Amino acid sequence: MGTNRFCEELTALLPRLRRFARGLTHDAADADDLCQQTIERALKARQQWQEGTRLDAWVYRIMRNQWIDEVRARTRRSQTFVHEDEGMNVGTTGDSDAENLVELGNIGRALARLPEEQREAVVLVLVEGFAYKEAAEIIGVPQGTLTSRLGRGREALLRALGEAA
Amino acid sequence: MNVTREELMAYADGELSGAEAARVEAAVAADPALAERLAAERRLREALQGHLDPVAEEPVPDALAAMIAAAREDDSRIVSMAAARAEREAKVVRRPFLPHWGSGLALAASLVLGLMLGTQLNSGGSIAERNGALVASGMLAKGLDTQLASAGDEGGPLRILTSFQRHDGDYCRVFEAAATSGIACKDNAGWVLERTMANGRRQASEYRQAGSAESDLMTAAQDMAQGAPLDADQEQAAKAKGWKK
Repeated sequence: MGTNRFCEELTALLPRLRRFARGLTHDAADADDLCQQTIERALKARQQWQEGTRLDAWVYRIMRNQWIDEVRARTRRSQTFVHEDEGMNVGTTGDSDAENLVELGNIGRALARLPEEQREAVVLVLVEGFAYKEAAEIIGVPQGTLTSRLGRGREALLRALGEAA
Repeated sequence: MNVTREELMAYADGELSGAEAARVEAAVAADPALAERLAAERRLREALQGHLDPVAEEPVPDALAAMIAAAREDDSRIVSMAAARAEREAKVVRRPFLPHWGSGLALAASLVLGLMLGTQLNSGGSIAERNGALVASGMLAKGLDTQLASAGDEGGPLRILTSFQRHDGDYCRVFEAAATSGIACKDNAGWVLERTMANGRRQASEYRQAGSAESDLMTAAQDMAQGAPLDADQEQAAKAKGWKK
């Protein structure tokens, strides 16, 4: 039910979804893949979306979860090569990523180096413009956790940009 | 005046309300170091947006829009086929799960439009939002708590069509109110609306026939249910314990 409306709204979200994907993945090819997987999942699950709730937050959550799955899969694949304490950050440490980082510019590099959980918080609030409460719901954590990740991510970015943090 | 880093960030993010925001503003005005930190926060936001916003300006690859368009085509076909099948089946056999329907009550289902739904729901004052989910409130919540499908309750603003337990044991009820029909399931805090459909006699789309709303809801209920719907005694017992599993 409501498929036409659902599809129209989803289509209208595509530019923002592509931006969020780039923010999460900091890689154009990864972002394209992520967008495609997200749309597939969203279309498949469209009966589960509840009318009257925000479609954007619902799709962002799908995208975010899809990316976390991907990061975990990559972590497992490369686990023998990385140091334990790099943990969730491992998706950003492959060779091809290191090459890509050169093209990103200061802010892009700094963002790419953030741990996954800080990066998603920073991108949801500062770029995608979600309120703390909404961002916390998308990620599925309490608001206090969101603000603490956001704070740490922000300070790391400010330091990387040479701002006193 | 003390402003923490967290407060300054919350202020920069527009998260502070009147009095709190005013306090931070006063502190920023009085303290150049604080003002510089706020400026740095704003430069960071601008830098991030400057880095990522251009992606949203790029043309969207055709493949993505095409995926959505294809799903839309599929759904149109499926819906019209399902409606045709439901009509055929309705003529031949009544599913055991479908309770008796008053003949004058055929409601024409509309494709549910979020906006319209929101308006109708709010005007009834019977539906509220909780953590992004729709929940019953007011008269609807009361009716879900007290009315029995087995009692009939014809003529009131709310009809309970059937009650059942879903796979996790939660009690659920298929209801029909003036503007909306749906399926509500009881959790610890209240009735969560798992499905909703706007009613309207003149809003049948070209794909859907009058009456398909009930049959869609009953089909959905059948899919969700563990076993048969509650009989009169089971329903009475479930009501007596507050619909707690």
